[in-house]
Amino acid sequence: MTEAQDLPGRAAAAPATGRRRGRWPHLALEVRQHMPGPQQALMLGASLVAGIAISTLVLVAAGVPAGNLLDEFVISIFTRPRNLANVLVYTAPLVIVGLAAAVAFRARFWNIGIEGQMIFGAIGATLIANHDIGPEGARLYLMAATAAFAGMVWMLVPALLKLRLEVNEIISTLLLNYVAFNFLLFLLYGPWKDPQSAFPHSKMYDAAERLTRIGFFNVDTSIYLAFALAVGCFLLLVVSRFGFLLNFVHANPKMARAMGVRVAVLVLSAALVSAALAGVAGFVISAGIDNRMTQSFFVGYGFSGILIGFLARNNPVLVVFFAALIAVLMVAGQGLQVFYQIPSSMVLLIQAIIVICAAASEFLIRYRLRLVR
Amino acid sequence: MSQAARSRAPAEAGAPALRMKGITKTFGDFVALDEVDFDLRNGEIHALLGENGAGKSTLMNVVAGLYAPDHGDIEVQGTPVRISGPQDARLLGIGMVHQHYKLVGGFTALENIMLFNPRGSFRQSRTAVRTAAADAADKLGFRVDLDARMDRLSVPEQQRVEIMKILIAGASIIILDEPTAVLTDAEAQKFFAAMRGLAEIGNSVVLVTHRLSEALSYADRITVMRGGRRIRTAHPEEVDADTLTELIVGTRIVEKPAPSEHVGAPVLTVSGLELTDAGGVVRLRGVTLDLHAGEIYCLAGIGGNGQTELVEALTGLVPPDAGRIDLAGHGKVTGLPPDRLRRLGLACIPSDRQGQALAGDLTVAENFAIGGVLAGRFGGALAVRRKPMAEAAAAAVRDFEVMGVRSARQKAGLLSGGNAQKLVIAREFSGAPSVIVAHSPSRGLDVRAAAAVHGHLRAARDRKAAVLLISEDLDEVLLLADRIGVMRSGRIVAEFPGGTDRRTIGRAMVGHD
Repeated sequence: MTEAQDLPGRAAAAPATGRRRGRWPHLALEVRQHMPGPQQALMLGASLVAGIAISTLVLVAAGVPAGNLLDEFVISIFTRPRNLANVLVYTAPLVIVGLAAAVAFRARFWNIGIEGQMIFGAIGATLIANHDIGPEGARLYLMAATAAFAGMVWMLVPALLKLRLEVNEIISTLLLNYVAFNFLLFLLYGPWKDPQSAFPHSKMYDAAERLTRIGFFNVDTSIYLAFALAVGCFLLLVVSRFGFLLNFVHANPKMARAMGVRVAVLVLSAALVSAALAGVAGFVISAGIDNRMTQSFFVGYGFSGILIGFLARNNPVLVVFFAALIAVLMVAGQGLQVFYQIPSSMVLLIQAIIVICAAASEFLIRYRLRLVR
Repeated sequence: MSQAARSRAPAEAGAPALRMKGITKTFGDFVALDEVDFDLRNGEIHALLGENGAGKSTLMNVVAGLYAPDHGDIEVQGTPVRISGPQDARLLGIGMVHQHYKLVGGFTALENIMLFNPRGSFRQSRTAVRTAAADAADKLGFRVDLDARMDRLSVPEQQRVEIMKILIAGASIIILDEPTAVLTDAEAQKFFAAMRGLAEIGNSVVLVTHRLSEALSYADRITVMRGGRRIRTAHPEEVDADTLTELIVGTRIVEKPAPSEHVGAPVLTVSGLELTDAGGVVRLRGVTLDLHAGEIYCLAGIGGNGQTELVEALTGLVPPDAGRIDLAGHGKVTGLPPDRLRRLGLACIPSDRQGQALAGDLTVAENFAIGGVLAGRFGGALAVRRKPMAEAAAAAVRDFEVMGVRSARQKAGLLSGGNAQKLVIAREFSGAPSVIVAHSPSRGLDVRAAAAVHGHLRAARDRKAAVLLISEDLDEVLLLADRIGVMRSGRIVAEFPGGTDRRTIGRAMVGHD
């Protein structure tokens, strides 16, 4: 009997023997029946640690001394208040876009158009600001509400296309981002160009149109708003009847429909809430960080939002945690760029590594690796 | 000798093709297989019987390399082997056709076979596989359009592709998991003829099934499993259906007809229902029937004659093109959406349990409670109350004897078929419905679970509900029906009183009047 031909790909041609790899210990895959919740959490935690470890190797290879990494990522963030403040400033919009992604994904509505909805949100807010609509005391509220509304209006197109004509929302929301972006450029190079500097950004918001600082460096009230929205989303998705039924739409839309759940209404509502959140995120960046509408305020937030929603498994509480994690990455990444000449894309690379590791944990939750001797 | 495992030349008839000794497999602290011995001879059809969860599928998954046993020995054609993956199984000449086919819908039949049998380049492979497939189809007496897209083929055709797929891969030990659950009687007969042909040229076939009659009429030997153990292996002449039932469930289960004692007034009246599906195929051609309180109306018929569409129309999933549906006390309800109909007292047990009746990723409690939540129970719109939900679910699990539920927070997808069905029934019956539409509710269930389902349907009837039972299984129809309708080509072609002769109904089903 011929022994041990380990020739992957040619297996079908090789003579059959169960001892093909018999003498060497190797890994075999097996479907798991079920993995309990705590073990799943542990698995996700372990994969995040693995992701951080790989990222460390990448950074060290890129020239950051290993000994300085802990300092850059942990110590400097939590010991220097200014850095912590920066993290909080980034956290607020990240929480909101993360929530936007989570709400939509819960309905299996793949909203890739968060950036487009942010743009429309900012346009809505700037419209109010530019024309000084409403009393000053209510100005910010009006801006926020208009931003949410504008985001929803922008979502109405892909949502209805999906529900009426079954147009794939991944394509439509993605492409509408470019439409929104070009509309933004039109406004900023045209009617809304800053009259003072003639630069392509909107004119500076008045004091009453800016989010107030809370007295900790440059941190503004958007952080409160973000937490409030996270609580709101928790109530909506986890506590309310809407959330309960939405879980069924997510798990098995066919069954939900047969049970009498108004699936289309729920999906439309979730998509609109998602877009409203994205609109508010656009408002928060414009009125909190930039104090005006710029032509690039939204860049990267769409991707980060999707990533946070994915890592958090669409859970609003975890969204806050992962948004903070990404914010730490962004702030530390800026430090690395300045002090070690690391390219900014490195931060994106690290985000990607962490996401891939988290996705890999999904595989290990479904399958068991067995060492066969 | 390794060549023998692959070759399709007649192996020594009667010699063991596969021998398993002391196979044990545990999942956590659950013992799925407990020191199981099993042997399969060359040239035989060997039926493997047992309830859901008896370990049949797990045992066969061990053979197919999907699970590694905790311990135990396996021999193929007399050689000790270790099967540590599907690849190994394939090289040993073991092929398994799973209950849910592993086919790619967008690919053609030929491409699906190629996917499983890579042979050199794509072009070479296509030629080689086409020849091999035509050859195999010829030998088996199968007619399959190799260039048809998989999702356009009927279920029996898909099954043929699955079988050809593993034969071309060189399988001589062929494992079939519930192969006839999706076939009509006539199709099943043809199927077994083909399997007998395979066995006669020296292959061996394992038939995992719930149907005793199949095992008794087509198998050379029968092995019964229960609770992860092998109970007995016997020749069909040595046993009868009653003995087998007793071996399978451990006790004697005999179901007897129990006609309704009081049939009341019509509750649901359907007249002239017509429906054309999205593809332009006319599915319902004027269905007219009425359901009375306190009766089980059985709709017999071969699957695909409009039953699914009738259920969809009755439950509000698809509005009919013409005709009307009336519900006693509510007037015309044609075209109302499912939530409205359910609120008026309609309940449904769909045929596709995991697809349409349950959300497998959600908990037992949630799956139980969704009906109640939609009806406004378990808290208001702002907050769903989890605790009463869990308590109600736990009570229902007890009342309906849903086994295998360790906590109400367990995922519903982990329940076995019978228990999943009991959970569906518990939910559907919790609102005390006045009309129940049950579509093949005992399909794929073992004897005991099927008896439980029947019991629940009878209990609902005795509570004065009107029950519409749609079934392809004539035994079930004869057992339960107070009245029988036969559906064919989108019409109700005949109606009979309960207890009508089986042949009369059968003739109406196939249209030889």
